[in-house]
This record gives sequence, C-alpha cells and structure tokens, in this order.
Amino acid sequence: MENDIIIIEDAHKSFGRVKALTGVSLRVGRGEVVVIVGPSGSGKSTLLRSINHLETLDRGRIVVDGIPLTQAENINRVRAEVGMVFQQFNLFPHLTVVGNILLAQRIVRRRTAAEAEKIAHELLEKVGIPEKADSYPSQLSGGQQQRVAIARALAMQPKVMLFDEPTSALDPEMIKEVLDVMLDLARDGMTMVVVSHEMGFARAAARRIVFMDEGRIVEVGPPESVFTNPRHERTKLFLSRILR
Amino acid sequence: MPDYEAPQTIPKPTTEPGRIARFDPWWLLVFGVVGLLAILIAGKPDPFRRIAVFVTDGIWVTIRITIVSFVLILIAGLIGGLGRIAKNPLIHGAASLYVEIVRGVPLLVQLIFIYYAAPQLLTAIGEGIASAIPALAGPAGLLIGIQLDPFVAAVFGFTICYGAYMSEIYRAGIQSIPKGQMEAARSLGMSYTQSMRYVILPQAVRVILPPVGNEFVALLKDSSLVSAVAVADLTRRGREFMSTTLLSLETWTLVALIYLVMTLFSSRVVSYIERKMSVGK
Ligand SMILES: Nc1ncnc2c1ncn2[C@@H]1O[C@H](COP(=O)(O)OP(=O)(O)OP(=O)(O)O)[C@@H](O)[C@H]1O
Ligand SMILES: [Mg+2]
Repeated sequence: MENDIIIIEDAHKSFGRVKALTGVSLRVGRGEVVVIVGPSGSGKSTLLRSINHLETLDRGRIVVDGIPLTQAENINRVRAEVGMVFQQFNLFPHLTVVGNILLAQRIVRRRTAAEAEKIAHELLEKVGIPEKADSYPSQLSGGQQQRVAIARALAMQPKVMLFDEPTSALDPEMIKEVLDVMLDLARDGMTMVVVSHEMGFARAAARRIVFMDEGRIVEVGPPESVFTNPRHERTKLFLSRILR
Repeated sequence: MPDYEAPQTIPKPTTEPGRIARFDPWWLLVFGVVGLLAILIAGKPDPFRRIAVFVTDGIWVTIRITIVSFVLILIAGLIGGLGRIAKNPLIHGAASLYVEIVRGVPLLVQLIFIYYAAPQLLTAIGEGIASAIPALAGPAGLLIGIQLDPFVAAVFGFTICYGAYMSEIYRAGIQSIPKGQMEAARSLGMSYTQSMRYVILPQAVRVILPPVGNEFVALLKDSSLVSAVAVADLTRRGREFMSTTLLSLETWTLVALIYLVMTLFSSRVVSYIERKMSVGK
C-alpha cells in the first residue's frame, strides 16, 4: 500500500466560466497535517470538497487510501473513511447531539444502538461536552456545535479528517476550544487537511502549509519557512494581510 | 433500510405565555354554525331533518373520498416532488411534464376525462395493439371495455391532479432545507436515499405542513366535483333531494352548513398538528 493516503493529480474544476481549480497536485501522508491557506476564491474549499467528492472534478485523479474516486460505489466507501467538518457546522437540527452522532453510525456502519451510543458518549467526552448529549443543536453555542460536528465525523472512525474553515463562523472566545480539539486530534496521529487562517494552529500542528491562489498551489513548505520566509510575491502579499 | 427510527419531533419546552382565556373567533364560528344546524334540524324537522337524513350517506362518501384521495396524494406528491429535484434529466423531465400538464387542465375536466373518456381511450389502444400484434391480443383485451367504478375514477382523478400541486409543495419544502444538510449527510457516507429519509424529509415536513393542510381543506371542498361523475357524495345527494322536492333554499343551506362544519374542523386539526410540530425549532 502506498504511504500517501491522499493523492491528488492534476485536478481541474470549473463552475461555468469560473475556473476554481486549474491543475492541482498534492499528496498527503498518513498522519500528516496539512493546512491550506489562500485568498478568497482561490479554490481551497473546492479542493477539499473534491477529496470526498462533494465536487466532481472535470479532469484529474484523486485516490484516497488506495481507492480511486471514480465509481459511485467507491464514493460512498471513501466518504465513510473521510470525515468532513464545515464552516457552518451543518448539524442536523431535528436530532439531539447524540442523535446527530448516532445516525450515520447506525445506518452506514450498522452498529448496534448500544455500541453506537457508547462511541457517541466517549467522543462527547473527548470534545469536552458530555453534558450536552441530549440537547438540540439550537441550544448550543457555535463552539459547542462545531465540537459536536467533529465528534459526529469522528464517530465514523475516519482515516482522514477534512476541515473547511472550522472556526471562521465562531466568536473569538470560542475559537480556542475548537482548535484545542483539533490539536488533540493531530497529536493522536489523525491525518488532517485543514483550510484555516489560524496561524497559531498551523504553526503548532501542520507539517506543511499549502498556499493556493487562483486555483493553483503556489507554494508548499513547512510553516516556519512559508510564514517567515515565503518565496513567492503573492504569498508574501497574502501573509502580510493575514498576519497584520 | 435498517429499522432505525429517527425521532421526528423535537420535545423542546415551549415558553408559551400561560393559556389565559384568549378570545378565539373560531369557537364562536363553530358554535354559530353547529348551533344553527341544530336549531334548523330540531326546530323545523320538516324539511331539514328529512334533508339531513337523506344526505347523511353522502357525507360519509365525501369524507371517505377525501381521506382516501389525500393519502394517495401525499404519496404521489412525494414521488413527483423527488422527481422534480432529481438530477437525472429523464426523471426530472417526466416529473415536470406531469406537473405542467396537470396544472393546465381544470380539475373538473380531468375528472370527467378519466371517468368518461379514458375507458374509450384504453379500448382504442387495446384494439390497436390487438390488431397490430395478434400475439398480444390476450393481454390487450384487458384494456377493452373497462368500466371504472365512479369512486375509483374520482380518487384516481384527485390523486393525479392534487398530486401535481403536492409535488410542488414537496419540492419547495425540500429545497428550503439548506444545502449543507445534504452535504453533511453525504459526507458521513449516507446514500442519497438515506440522507433524504433521515435528514432532509424530517426537516422538510415541518415546512410543508401548513400548505399541505391547506390542500386537505381545498380537497374537501373540491370533492363536491365528484357529483359530476356519478359519485353519490354530499353535493350529489343534495341535488337529488332538491330535484324531487324542489326545496332549493333549504337543501343548499343545509348542505353548505355541513360543508362548513367539516372544513372548520379540518382546518382546526391542521393548525393543531402544526402547533405540535413547531414546538422547538
Ligand atoms: N457551486 C459553485 N457554483 C459556482 N461557482 C462556484 C461554486 N463553488 C465555488 N465557486 C467558485 O469557484 C471559485 C473557488 O471557490 P472556493 O469556494 O473553492 O474558494 P475558497 O478558496 O474556498 O474561498 P473562500 O476563502 O471564500 O472560502 C470561486 O470563484 C467561487 O465563486
Ligand atoms: Mg471556502
């Protein structure tokens, strides 16, 4: 088996006349944490979403854990192995916190109720809100909702976790509680691809930073070198705005 | 699909201000209508009691036809609505064609067509097949000379017609659920059908309940159209009584009042269910 768990080769994607990805290639190793940064509209979300096929590429190839994302049956298999956390949390509002974490375990993993509930409660413990098990999403703060969303994804025991700006819809005081959960995950050896402009998190957790602009990867490297000593003008310009 | 039951309602405590006897015009209206009916029937048994007795079986036919049709309409609407949002152009096209055609033809014309004209059409098709392909004469013969039961024809007509409107209600309800819900469900590895069943539809139900309830009340009233296709419903029984007694004013006053009681009650039930479902958010 290959050592790289995600292989993206020459990914192209357009929405009408808008070119969201124009030839992106990227490999992510097992247990690696990659943080993607770049200006708005540079294709970060599109790249992330094509890893679990929420977007279909026009051209190029994506292989996740040795499974090429081509046939429909592979897509559901890959999705169950790839957890995704969204900017807007996307919890199911009609289900309790536990209900959110149980649903896919029951119908995709086909676990028994007892088994699934045990996992749900362990995960709520892990993300620090065991007492909210029976609340509804609307009764939680944004930070708590996002932690439930992470627990929901983790319950599938994915091999890869994708995060699309997980903290940018949060009030500042809640950002840390979510980043702490993500840091823990990174330390546990989870493979993570994270779109985020949280430089603290990137420095602490990322092995590599990927800088994207206009549908391309402009620069890749360890956080110290990309952040302190970017090679490309566009990276410099972007970072000077982000870091203030 | 596994027998996993997603909870359908959210038991969140309401913070409704204590039910202080709020004046509710509905009760006044119901008391008025029911009272008037009682006064007419008790106070002037001839002809009102006679009329009431005569049309009673028609009331049951009206209720039966409304409820049976409505159950089928809910199913037809779901199928049509899912078809309207399908990505597959063939399914989408077929569903859209159905909705457009049905919405362009008056309900009464559809009912009459199904009861009187459709059997002739089927006969012609059957004969056509039988003469073109003699081998199929046996099965084609089944199409020839079909006599539709009026009740069945009426239910069929309502299902087709109201199903088209219901499709649009379902479609709008499903599309009102944020896209992120489907994406979250799919990214957890759930199939499209599973995501619809456990994530989208339970949420859409709350959105579509008010318009669906309105459809029920509208159907109850439109059910009077079946009197044109030989179903002995409340309206037709009223007409029969009138034609033998010539008591137009008395008959139609009573019939109208009975319809009013039925629609008042059903819209009340609808808003009760709505309130139950909207507890929490
Ligand atoms: N579903 C869509 N339909 C049309 N255009 C889209 C769609 N999704 C993305 N785009 C366009 O593709 C380009 C890349 O979008 P993408 O969301 O990947 O950027 P991003 O880097 O995630 O930006 P942001 O930081 O604003 O989230 C943008 O120009 C965007 O407008
Ligand atoms: Mg984005």
